[in-house]
Amino acid sequence: MKKTKFAIVAVATLSLGAASCGSGSETTDTTVAATPAVAEYVVDGAWARTSPMEATMGAVYLNITSTVDDALVGASVSTEIAAMTQVHETLMNADGTMGMQEIASVPMTANTPLTLAPGGYHIMLMELVKPLVVGETVSVTLTFASGGTTTVDAIVSEEAP
Amino acid sequence: MKKISQLLLALVASTAILPACATDSSSLMGMTRDQPLVVGSISLPDVSENGVSQNFFFKAEEGHLLTVFFGYTMCPDICPTSLSDFRSALRRLGDRAQKIDLAFVTVDPQRDTAEKLIPFLGSYATNFHAIRTSDASQLSLAQDAFLVRSSVTTDDSGHIQVTHTGTGFIVNSDGIVVSELPFGIGPDGMENDFNVLLNKIETGEMK
Repeated sequence: MKKTKFAIVAVATLSLGAASCGSGSETTDTTVAATPAVAEYVVDGAWARTSPMEATMGAVYLNITSTVDDALVGASVSTEIAAMTQVHETLMNADGTMGMQEIASVPMTANTPLTLAPGGYHIMLMELVKPLVVGETVSVTLTFASGGTTTVDAIVSEEAP
Repeated sequence: MKKISQLLLALVASTAILPACATDSSSLMGMTRDQPLVVGSISLPDVSENGVSQNFFFKAEEGHLLTVFFGYTMCPDICPTSLSDFRSALRRLGDRAQKIDLAFVTVDPQRDTAEKLIPFLGSYATNFHAIRTSDASQLSLAQDAFLVRSSVTTDDSGHIQVTHTGTGFIVNSDGIVVSELPFGIGPDGMENDFNVLLNKIETGEMK
């Protein structure tokens, strides 16, 4: 599978927090890195399901790995694609029905892929301006708790590539 | 990589053997019940012919299988996943796909007009029935027969929230649910069950 690697210049706030906690001691804390940790993100398998003519909602799926402990906190696409974009999770309710809810933050463990796939987490495209056509791409910008962002092109297809 | 290849080979080998070892009923990948659901006497309006309502009974044509899903057209994840898996399964069936019909029951009739349902379903199937009733008690009666639940509510921010059972149902010409397809069974599972059940029809084991 084709992988795209994005180097992110944002400084991981988690690392900064760890550094400040150690500042009260007179001894040298060699566990604190001399330079701030830089989050890098690897995204693969990004795709969006094609939308029938009458569907005004769409979904983007992908796998993403961060080099630091992080959290996916948002996603956005051009308003030429959809009026609003949210990170959602499909859940099974107590009565066996399935529904969705917006998720403010999806935790990510360093170097462990976070999977957004049908029936689970997905990036929901709301009020599509025009149908998603097979073969075209949707540029999606992901935002992380660390302050990092990355942009990925999701290819529109009928099913998972 | 070699280990992964060997593991895949082992998996393929084991899945290839399983159906041969199993009995006919257990070779279905969907769920079956000791007392299967009987839905053939239940009817709802079919609006797939230019929006004109015709009474539709939940039973397959003779020699066919009917696949029933409950959902709504503005569903971004569950419904398009199930319906595209259904479309993929039918493509794999080739000519046999002509014996598989689709009935899609909207649980969101306020927004899902016939004008929305017909092109939506047309992108997934050729032989489809767009089922829509604005009578909540009539919809509830049909859902009860399939043991399905749904709800349409508006949240504090004004967004309409819809929940519904994600299971699909394969119904025979007697109006009996012969396989229940859990969400996520995928095109492989659906194709398998269509083939198993069409074989039963062709051998006369099932109507």
